[in-house]
Amino acid sequence: MNLERLPNEEKLSLCRKYYLGGFAFLPFLWLVNVVWFFQEAFLKPTYTEQLQIKTYVKRSALGLVLWVTVLTTWITIFQHFRAQWGAVGDYLSFTIPLGIP
Amino acid sequence: MTASVFFGCTFIAFGPAIALFLFTIAREPLRVIFLIAGAFFWLVSLLLSSLVWFISVQISNKDSAAQQKGLLIFGVVLSVLLQETFRFAYYKLLKKANEGLLALSQEETMPISIRQLAYVSGLGFGFMSGAFSVVNILADSVGPGTVGIHGDSQHYFLSSAFMTMAIILLHMFWGVVFFDACEKQRWWAVAAVVISHLVVSCLTFQNPEYVGSLVPTYIIMFLMGVWAFYSAGGSLRNLRLCLSCIDKDFLLANHRPR
Amino acid sequence: MDFLSNRWINNLIVCWFFIGVSCNSVEKKIYVHLNYTVPCVRLLNATHQIGCQSSLSGNVGVLHVLESEGDLDWVLRSGPNPPYMVILEPPLFNRSIMMKLKNSSGRVAGVAAVAINTNPPPDFSPHNTCPNENTGVYSENYDPALAHCNKTVWNPLGNGLSYEEYDFPIFSLNDDNDTQVIRQCYWDHNRAVNGSTPQYPLCAMQLYSHMSAVTDTATCMRRNDINFSISPEVVCDPLGDFNVWASSKPLNNTAKGHKMGESVVIAAARLDSRSFFFDIAPGAESAVSGFVTLLAAVHALHNATQEAPPNRTILYTFFQGETFDYIGSSRMVYDMENKQFPVDLDNVHSVLEIGQVGFAAGSGLWLHSDPVSRRNSSVNDTVKDLISNLRSAAADLNVSVDEPRVSQPLPPSSFQRFLRARPIPGVVIEDHQSQFTNSFYESMYDNAEYLNISYSPDLTPEKQLETVTDTAKALTDVATMVAQALYKQAGGAESQLSSIKADALIVTQMLYGFLVKSNNSWFQQLVSSELMGHLNDRPPNLYVGVTQQSSVPTLLVQHLLANLTGSAINITQDDCQNQREDKDDKENKHMYSYLWVQGVAPPNNTTREGFCVRSTVRLSKALSPAFDLQQYTSQDYSTWTESRWKTIKGRIFLVASHELEMFTLGVGVSILLMSLLLTYIISLKADILFSSGREPTNATY
Repeated sequence: MNLERLPNEEKLSLCRKYYLGGFAFLPFLWLVNVVWFFQEAFLKPTYTEQLQIKTYVKRSALGLVLWVTVLTTWITIFQHFRAQWGAVGDYLSFTIPLGIP
Repeated sequence: MTASVFFGCTFIAFGPAIALFLFTIAREPLRVIFLIAGAFFWLVSLLLSSLVWFISVQISNKDSAAQQKGLLIFGVVLSVLLQETFRFAYYKLLKKANEGLLALSQEETMPISIRQLAYVSGLGFGFMSGAFSVVNILADSVGPGTVGIHGDSQHYFLSSAFMTMAIILLHMFWGVVFFDACEKQRWWAVAAVVISHLVVSCLTFQNPEYVGSLVPTYIIMFLMGVWAFYSAGGSLRNLRLCLSCIDKDFLLANHRPR
Repeated sequence: MDFLSNRWINNLIVCWFFIGVSCNSVEKKIYVHLNYTVPCVRLLNATHQIGCQSSLSGNVGVLHVLESEGDLDWVLRSGPNPPYMVILEPPLFNRSIMMKLKNSSGRVAGVAAVAINTNPPPDFSPHNTCPNENTGVYSENYDPALAHCNKTVWNPLGNGLSYEEYDFPIFSLNDDNDTQVIRQCYWDHNRAVNGSTPQYPLCAMQLYSHMSAVTDTATCMRRNDINFSISPEVVCDPLGDFNVWASSKPLNNTAKGHKMGESVVIAAARLDSRSFFFDIAPGAESAVSGFVTLLAAVHALHNATQEAPPNRTILYTFFQGETFDYIGSSRMVYDMENKQFPVDLDNVHSVLEIGQVGFAAGSGLWLHSDPVSRRNSSVNDTVKDLISNLRSAAADLNVSVDEPRVSQPLPPSSFQRFLRARPIPGVVIEDHQSQFTNSFYESMYDNAEYLNISYSPDLTPEKQLETVTDTAKALTDVATMVAQALYKQAGGAESQLSSIKADALIVTQMLYGFLVKSNNSWFQQLVSSELMGHLNDRPPNLYVGVTQQSSVPTLLVQHLLANLTGSAINITQDDCQNQREDKDDKENKHMYSYLWVQGVAPPNNTTREGFCVRSTVRLSKALSPAFDLQQYTSQDYSTWTESRWKTIKGRIFLVASHELEMFTLGVGVSILLMSLLLTYIISLKADILFSSGREPTNATY
């Protein structure tokens, strides 16, 4: 879809859909929202809906950063301590590496 | 560690071909199509020659070394002849296709000249034959071992890569010369292409004396390159002109900022 | 093969593609695959992992043939091309060198030990000094003074190598050609001539033995059970197989638990052994000498027990997996306690176990008994009876019999598991007074040569099979003694004793089959056609293995026992395999088992004439109760598991110097960059370069 050809109201509604969709534990929607609407929100000459789009993009970015931090922290902790956790670590794993504690 | 050998050999074998593809072919869809069609024609020729080879090996006496050697030479010669036959067939097909293209397009001129076709199809042949000659060698170059436990030279990978590069470029030159000769009905030039192809293929019987096969191959490649250059419309004058205008551009480029 | 022609290779590829045979000539130019290697594999128990493993893609190292212990410095410190793959000659495969290699912190990629069949080192036992230390009867609660081999160290030569953990692969090179190729490659490429560093290309070796299981049995069994991943994988399997048992008179096998009025004398021997490497476990002295003697004794008793049955029943048992914390005997005792066996412990009158008796002729026989249970007077009386029976039987024979000091505990034996359950009178016959006479306990050198079983090379296999060796004669005497003592112990008539004689020919044939070639004409006629396929020209491997695969020695003993004690009956193969004597027979299978064996081929005919053997021989599970109870950290039962693996292979090849590799890469990159530049310029100037032709503009390039 080409954003250029879309009227401003539809841009806003699209951006809102992506923003709301992200709350369903879908941080990638926020990522798409940020990348896709960044130009619209911050680089284009102002128009009425832009303020709203800006808010959505900012919030999506915030949510995305939150997700990234939480996931990175968890993955680091999990990878580091999985072997020490023993049974718990095994039950939390989806694939267990062969030949490694 | 030995990934470096893999990438080194890949770049040697396919570096020139990749560069040519990127700068002269990739941007024009029609050329890409003809390149792939050329590669396909080469593949079909390989399929036929391997069928013949398969049958003749089954028939032959597997214990007789002389017979096996003879069979090998027969296989190589047959494969070369088949490849050149298919090059001719491809030429004929392209002539037909070009007429069709001309009829379709609104413009007066052909969308792609026969010289361009010659170059593109030659490179297509080269790509495919190069890939087939070096892919399984490349696969084993990843390591951890290198050739030599049975006393072979450890420059096997390097020389195979250089040989493949020569084969790819040669196919390109042969394509140009061959098509040009067909256009002008100069059958001796066609014969020269076939004979040089035969010579290059038979030179590989020299292996593992890699110098003995690589040096003549590169000499032939150079000669074919010059010939192809001329038959593609190049001349010494053009070359000089070109070199001087590079200088001019260079000078201009240096002047502009001032 | 030479690099003949690109086209030639093309043709070949396509050809082979058609034939469907994958064969790569370039691969053949680079690698030499090792034909017959035996790895050391990873085993796990409740607390530890032992054995070896490589990385997932195999360990690669530059070959170094270790010539002396001083040479180790090259590998551990001074050599310029680590990591090294160390080739060890047999005398150097010892604890001090292996420990140095183990602690080398990454300079050792792996070890390959050369296997030899002649002139082994004077002694070598990779086992513990105190075998099965924690699962025998002598715990702190039983008698603190006797626990942990405090009184007697049974295997003082044991260096414990088998129970170490190595983070590199260790292989045994069992093929002389392989060894020769490796040595040649080392001499040609890697040998440092008076102190200089060897020049590239160097000869290297890659060993694959990646093990799936890790840490301990509890971990790996837990991972076996987790199966919500896309590809659930089993990482380890419990060690175990089957015990073989038979009784002198048929016992109802369906009615488990206590049998009223039944009293049994158990005659036991162990079936398994091990060595440092996975599937070389000849166990000549440690297992074969004992169970062959018991088999011969069973055969000797056959007629007497049929014609004049003694009051008590004799139960012949062959325990599997005893090396790994008494898997077989602990399971049988567990089954007896839980009414899963035709008799229970109350039915057991006494136990006579035959341990290592291969050197009976030289060192005499020693009758070991348990000092703790003998403090009970009734137990002591029965033990004394048993000993006197043995002594009187030995008196007429060429065997010297003696007792060790009264305070000495039992050597490692299956009987200990019975004592662990309750004080049962019993004796263990061994050929050593205190420490083992066997100087190759649980090692690959505990083979036929060590028992002095050798044949002159000009004899045909048939003649060799029938040659009665001195060892066979000695074991025959032991078997006769055991048989007579058992008969007397079971309350048999004195008058029959003189007729109980073991057959030396059968003993020598069994020794030949278990120690020289399992594929011999005698075994062939006694086994079923399925088992026939597992016979080969090597001695069978006595390593117990995992429960999923049945072990060949177990089945061989089962068939031998059936043939030696059973009777051929004239029924169809179909009925025989369905455990019945005719269509309506539903009773006999409770008392007897039926085996269809191949038999012999009559002269001038190639098809064998099979027949059915009816006997009391049964198999009973020899899987540690810990796995049924799911107590993977059990202190009482064996918890040994064997890791699974995917590839075991080794190959040698040359490695190129780092400089050559970097040179190749450099040439490649510069050719790529140069051609990019050149093509760019030419394509820019194509108009001018190719302008003279008749065709308008934009020519070839």
